[in-house]
Amino acid sequence: MTYLPHIALGDLGKIAAVAAIMAGVVCVSEAAWIHAKASLAQALIGAAWRREQAGSGSAQPWPWADTRPLAQLMFGEGANAPKFMVLEGSSGRNLAFGPAHDPASAAPGEAGNSVIEGHRDTHFALLRDIKVGDTLHVETLASRDVRFRVTNVRIVDSRRARISLHADIPRLTLVTCYPFDTVVPGDPLRLIVTADHVTADQVTAVHMEP
Amino acid sequence: MCLFHLASRAAVTVSIVGLFAWLSGAPPASAHEPLEARSGTLYLKSSPDAEAYEALRVATTMQAQITGNVARVHVTQAFSNAGSDWVEGLYVFPLSADAAVDELFMKIGERTLRGEIQEKAKAQAAYAQARSEGKQASIVDQERPNMFTTAVANIAPHSTVSVEITYLETIPYRDSRYTLRLPLAITPRYTPGAGLDPAAPLAAANAAVVNAEDGTSATPERVTASRQNVDITVELAAGFPVGSVASLHHVVDMKDDALGKQIHLGGSQIPADHDFELVWTPAAAGDVETAAFAEKVGDDTFALIVLTPPNAADEAIQAREVTFIIDTSGSMQGPSIEQARAALQLGIDRLTPSDRFNIIRFASDYSSLFAVPQPVDASSRVLAGQFISALRADGGTEMRAPLERAMSTPPNVGLLRQIVFITDGSVGNEAELIALINRQIGTTRLFTVGIGAAPNAYFLEQAAAAGRGSYTFIADREQVASRMQDLFRKLERPALIDLKLLWPDDLTAEVAANVPGDVYAGDPLVILARLPRSPSGHLTMSGRMRGNDWVHQVQITRVGEQSGLSKLWARERIADLSRHLQFGGDREQLRSSILDLALKHHLVSEFTSLVAIDDVVVRPPGSSGHVEQAPTSAPTGSYWATTGFAKTATPAGLLLYCGLLCITLGGLLCWTRSRRQMAS
Repeated sequence: MTYLPHIALGDLGKIAAVAAIMAGVVCVSEAAWIHAKASLAQALIGAAWRREQAGSGSAQPWPWADTRPLAQLMFGEGANAPKFMVLEGSSGRNLAFGPAHDPASAAPGEAGNSVIEGHRDTHFALLRDIKVGDTLHVETLASRDVRFRVTNVRIVDSRRARISLHADIPRLTLVTCYPFDTVVPGDPLRLIVTADHVTADQVTAVHMEP
Repeated sequence: MCLFHLASRAAVTVSIVGLFAWLSGAPPASAHEPLEARSGTLYLKSSPDAEAYEALRVATTMQAQITGNVARVHVTQAFSNAGSDWVEGLYVFPLSADAAVDELFMKIGERTLRGEIQEKAKAQAAYAQARSEGKQASIVDQERPNMFTTAVANIAPHSTVSVEITYLETIPYRDSRYTLRLPLAITPRYTPGAGLDPAAPLAAANAAVVNAEDGTSATPERVTASRQNVDITVELAAGFPVGSVASLHHVVDMKDDALGKQIHLGGSQIPADHDFELVWTPAAAGDVETAAFAEKVGDDTFALIVLTPPNAADEAIQAREVTFIIDTSGSMQGPSIEQARAALQLGIDRLTPSDRFNIIRFASDYSSLFAVPQPVDASSRVLAGQFISALRADGGTEMRAPLERAMSTPPNVGLLRQIVFITDGSVGNEAELIALINRQIGTTRLFTVGIGAAPNAYFLEQAAAAGRGSYTFIADREQVASRMQDLFRKLERPALIDLKLLWPDDLTAEVAANVPGDVYAGDPLVILARLPRSPSGHLTMSGRMRGNDWVHQVQITRVGEQSGLSKLWARERIADLSRHLQFGGDREQLRSSILDLALKHHLVSEFTSLVAIDDVVVRPPGSSGHVEQAPTSAPTGSYWATTGFAKTATPAGLLLYCGLLCITLGGLLCWTRSRRQMAS
C-alpha cells in the first residue's frame, strides 16, 4: 500500500537532488564567468587600445564588439597602479566588460563633467577604499595624460539624486553600486566619487600646504 | 516518522522549484511594490519603465500679502491623481532662503487639517505609519534652506488632495527698490547639503547619509519642461506712496484696490524657467529713514528695526584708504588667480584721487606694492598695474604677517580705512588670527572675499565679523567680476559709520544676527531682536555721517501678534545658528538650540517638519499603490545626466551563494537517500 507513494517520492528526491546540484554548478560557473569576462575583456580591450594608440589597427577589441575604448582610467601612480579601459556607453553589456562612460556627459579629460559607471564587485570594487585627495589619471586616445584629484566621496539614493553635467573644468564622476557587500543586486544606493582636474603645479602646492 | 519525511521532502522540493523560478528571471523586487512593503524614506524610481505611469500633477497657486516690508505667502499645491492606483505624491519646490515656513493645512473634501510642527524624525515616522495604515497624511520637510519637499500619502484614484503651506519673509530692499521673489524653478544641484570631511573614511561618509539629519541626503530633484500652470496673486500694501511697480519676467494684470495694488499672473502656459519677481519703489526717497516695530509674545518682545540710508546717487564718495590683501598661494593656480587679478585691477580702477591704497600679496611669504599706502595718481596706478600682472600663484598660505602689517600701519586722519582680503585658502590657526583682528582692528574695517568652491567660510565670516565688515563668498568663478563690482561700489559709499544701538531702559537685546559696523548706501539694515520685556520710550541709534556725529531716536511701534515678528526673528536666528553648524560649530549644542527655536515658533527647519495626519482610513487594505514625484521646472540653461543610474552590481555574488546553496541541498538529499536505502 505504501509502495506507490514511496516510489514517487524517491524519484522526486533523486530528480531534485540532481537538479539542485546541476543548478548549483551552473550558478557557480556563471558567477565565475562574470569575473572572468570582466578581466578577460579588459585585457583584450587594453591590447586594442595600444594598437590604436600606436596607429596600427582598430580599437575594436574583438571582431563582433559594438563598443570601443574611450580612455584609460588609472587609480594612483606607478606601474602597478590599477588601470581600466573605459568603454563608450553605459549599457549593461558594456559594464560587464569595463567601466563605461555616459555618452551624454563630457569626454574624459575634456572640460565638463564626465560620468563613468562601473560594477561594484568587479572593476570598481576598488572604490571601496578611495578617499578624498587620491589621485586619478585619465589617458586619452591622443596619449594625453590628465590628472585628477578626488574632491568628494558620497553616497546618494539613485531614485532621488541626479548628476549635473555642468562643470567649468575637466571633472570625473565615478559611480558604482553601494553598499559593496550586499548579496542581492539592485540596491538603490550609489557611491559617487568626484575628482577635479589638477595641474602638476597644484599637486606640488597642495603637498606644501599643511 | 514517515509523515515527517514526507513533509520535509516536500519542503525541500518546493524551495528548489522556487529557486529555479526565481533564477530564471523573476526580478528580486517587484516594480509595483505594495505600499506596505516600503518603510522609511520616500520612493522614486529613476529607471525608464518607471516613467510609464504619470498620473500625478501638482497645480500651484500662490497668494502673497505684503504689509510694509513683510510678506505673508500662501502656497497651495493641489495633488491630482488621474490614475486608477492609489498614489503617494512627492513634490520638491523652491522658496527663498529666509522663508519662515510656519503652517501646513491639508484639505480633504470639506475638512481642513492643521499640520503640527515636530522633530523631523518623529514627523517622518508618524507620516510613514499613517501611510501604511491607509490614512491620508502630508508632510513638509526642508531639504536645503531654499528647497522644500511636500509628500502626500494615499491620494485616492481620480481624486485631488490640496495642501496649503504658509510662510513669512522680510522683503529685501536694495538700491531704492523692494523685490519680492517667488521662486518657480529649482536649479539642479549635484552636491547638496554639507560637504564631507576630506579625511573621513568611507564608513563615516556612509553614516552621514544614513543619518539624514545631516542634510547629506541626496537632493530629490526631478525637472520638466519650462511651461507650467501658475496662478499668482500679490496684494501690495507698501505702507508708503508707491512710485512704480513692475514684474521683471512675466506679463501681469495690475489694478488698484482699497489697500494698495493687486497684481495677478495666471494661465496654463506660463514660462516657469524664471522666478516671479515683483519690484516696487517708494515715490520719494528721503534722507535716513528708520522704523521700529515690537510684538509681544508671552514674556518676550520681538523687535524689527529698519534703517534705510540715503540713496546712493546723491551721496558723496567718502575718501578712503584701501589695502588689498591677495592670496597667491598654489591653490589659487589657474582661473582663480586670473579672476582675482581682474577683480584687483577693477578695485584699483575705481579708486578716486582723494583715496590712498596699497596691495599686499602673500603665499608662504608676503610682499607689498608700497611700504605705506600711497595717494592714487597716474604713476601709482601704473605701478599697481605692473604689480598685479606679475602676480603668480605658488607656495603656502601664511596669512598672519600680511594681516598684521595692514592693520598696524598708522592711520591717515580723515580717511576711512578698509582692508579687502581676497583668498580661497584654508588656515589652521583660525583662533589666533581672529584674536589678532580683535586686538588690532581699531577703526579699520575688514572685508573678506572667498573665491572658489571651498574657502574656509567659517573663518572668513568670523574674521569679517571681528573686523566689523562683511563677507562675500563667490563660488562661481564667472561671477567674480560682477560680485566684486558690487562690493567695491558699496565700499565707496558708507552712509553711516560706526553704528551703535542703544535700547530703551538699558534693555539687553538678543539680535538674531551680528549688527555690522557701517551702513552702506542702497543697502538698508534690517535688525531683528528679542527683548526681555516691552520697551517704553525710544531706541537710540548713533554713528557718524559725512564726518559729523549722528544721533537718531526712533519710536518703537507696538504691533499685533499676527505680524509674525517673533517668527521672523526665530527664522533669522536659526539661519545664523545653521551657518555656525555648517562652519564647524559645536554640533549637539547648535542642533538642540535650532530644534528648540523651531518647535517653539512652529517653524520648519533642517531638524523639524510640519506633518498633518487624518484619522480616517481611506485606502482599503491590499489595494495597489505607488509613489510618483511631480516635476518641478528647471531654470534656463541647466544640464543633466540623462541616463540616470545604470545597474552597477553584477549578480555574481548572488549566483555564487545560490549555487553553493543548491549544491549543498542536493548533496544533503543524496546523502539522506543513500542512508535510507542502506537502512531499508
